[in-house]
Amino acid sequence: MMRWSLTGVWCALVVLAPSVCAAQETNESRMWIVAGGTSATVRGDCQTCEEDFPYRHGPGIVANAGYRVNPRMDVGAEIFWVPLETASGTLNTTHMDAVAQFRPWRTHGFFIKGGAGMAFIRNWVDAIGPGAINSKALSVVVGGGWAFRVEKRVGFQLFASQHAGALGDLQTAAGDVPDVLGNYWSVGAALVFR
Amino acid sequence: MGKPLRPRPLAAALVSALLIHAAPVAAQDTEPSFLARAIESASLFEQPAQTPAPDPYAAARPCAGCPPRSVGRSFLQVTVVNVFYGIANLVRGQVTARVTPKTWWENMENGWVWDLDDFVVNQIGHPYQGSNYYNGGRANGLSFYESAAMAAFGSATWEFYGETNKPSLNDFINTTLGGIAIGEVLHRVSWLMRDPTKSGSGRLWSEIGATVLDPVTGYNRFRRGDASRIAEKPADMVPSALSGFASAGALWRGTEHEPFQGSGQAFLEADLFYGDLLHGRSRSPYDAFAMTMRFGGGGPVSEARLLGRLLGEPFGKNGKFQFSVAQAYDFQKNDAYAFGAQSFDGGVAFTHPLSSRISLALLGSGGLTVLGAIDSLPLGVEEVPEEEPESDAGQGVSEGPRFYDYGPGSKYTVRALLLRDNAPFAVAFYEGRQLFSLDGLRANHFLQHARLDLRVPIYRKIGFGVAGEFFSRHTYYQDAAKTEREFRYPQFRTYLTWDIS
Repeated sequence: MMRWSLTGVWCALVVLAPSVCAAQETNESRMWIVAGGTSATVRGDCQTCEEDFPYRHGPGIVANAGYRVNPRMDVGAEIFWVPLETASGTLNTTHMDAVAQFRPWRTHGFFIKGGAGMAFIRNWVDAIGPGAINSKALSVVVGGGWAFRVEKRVGFQLFASQHAGALGDLQTAAGDVPDVLGNYWSVGAALVFR
Repeated sequence: MGKPLRPRPLAAALVSALLIHAAPVAAQDTEPSFLARAIESASLFEQPAQTPAPDPYAAARPCAGCPPRSVGRSFLQVTVVNVFYGIANLVRGQVTARVTPKTWWENMENGWVWDLDDFVVNQIGHPYQGSNYYNGGRANGLSFYESAAMAAFGSATWEFYGETNKPSLNDFINTTLGGIAIGEVLHRVSWLMRDPTKSGSGRLWSEIGATVLDPVTGYNRFRRGDASRIAEKPADMVPSALSGFASAGALWRGTEHEPFQGSGQAFLEADLFYGDLLHGRSRSPYDAFAMTMRFGGGGPVSEARLLGRLLGEPFGKNGKFQFSVAQAYDFQKNDAYAFGAQSFDGGVAFTHPLSSRISLALLGSGGLTVLGAIDSLPLGVEEVPEEEPESDAGQGVSEGPRFYDYGPGSKYTVRALLLRDNAPFAVAFYEGRQLFSLDGLRANHFLQHARLDLRVPIYRKIGFGVAGEFFSRHTYYQDAAKTEREFRYPQFRTYLTWDIS
């Protein structure tokens, strides 16, 4: 599943690579807002555990808001939310990151993005009741994609990104699991407002 | 074990990179070959009066002495840096360098992990490698922030595709943020060495010296013929002020049980103050920075600190106050203590003239540590065990255990400085840090560092200095008993200084 998703996005980027964004005017506003959805694959891995952990799939929502530093750089904040259904309950992850996005070529839509912040993981464990156990994590995100300008201030983008959530200990119904690091691969599309 | 060496993917990547590199781009059809440029450079060094050759890159330069801008070449050179490190690891016999498309896919499928490498490799080796990526951008005319993206790109691609090791999250952060800090400082210091208005052998040696500090920029300058071309130095590479000193002396480090051990340890230290960190409106990152490098004193490199201003804004009457945002890189490792961090600070500085030459500066700052590393021992272990001989895993594979913790945190700093002609001669410093361990011990660490430095001139540029320092680490274990441990040591240094302003 993940392999095909990534391959699909990669092919789309390669095919679309020669296309040029609509004229990027220099008098555009400094606002940078992105909102969209993703298909996410998640794997929480315990480095000191023997067992193999599964890949889980679910939808996600991503939003960015920020400021255009110059025609090639945007900086701002990103929220990425992924709910996952597991056998023992629902796992909600919210990444909140400070991000910087770099468009190497002013007339092309290609961009790469990176950032860091915090992730909040709410583990709704059905086995012990209706409440949630909260864990905080160090969050890191890297990604890239292609943005298309449809109108002067509105466009859309296709992107792929990888979020990491380094928890330390994950609290579960069965006790704490040490050294957990969650990886969140996502591909998606979003509207871009400038 | 026993897998045959398969360098073909790397070799193919290198060959293709070289081929792409050699291919002339449309705008540079008239560009002479690298060999021709090198020959021309050599002859220019010998014949300074020769009529300068036309500059094929003139249209792409924002100023006569600036590098021509090329984003594509930056990406290419960052990739070549990765290939270079990969080949170097292969030559060293590291099994982790035997990369194939299969290992690339496995790394992408697995995602980020924490690694178990040595403290120095992770806290100095990776940031230095990151500085090469970063300067792949700077050498090709990219701005600070654009080059920062290059450091992240190089770091991520190295972690996923440069080694068979699983991609390491701590390496990615250290390589990117440390690479930006070290890269920009090396780039600017190497520009201090160059004087492109000069010619002759002095110019050649200054270009070679600068290349040792910043090899990627140096390579590009020799390749383009800039190393021998007469031009003005780029204006943004000329600091508004410059001071510093080199020190040589001895230090005595105590333990928890005795204030000072009998024998001292020799050290050499370089302190550089580039630009004016305390004044001026600034939107040009690292136009002002402070750097400390200490060699010896308990390790080959026992201390490295960088503080680079990202932006500055004066406020208050006559601009006596200044708000600034800065990036910091910290490394400290000796036989008692190991600490490293990548962090960002926001702070306020106040300056007040006491006489025509002497002024007082007070600084307070607080910030976030994106990732810090601190040495620690599990409960019940009193000292780091001797390293076991290499296992069957192969050269380059770290299997642990690792006796230091990684985590994010916060910091706050207070400084008071007395300055004479803008160079500090008395410094009082206090720093507190909190690190929440995400990988390693289940613990919170609270670190404190206090320091008092006094330097007095003796004769011309020679001076004498003494410094007293105090370190403490309070560890709050997350075990059932909520165990707390405190470790502290004092340090005293005495040294001779040479003013290099």
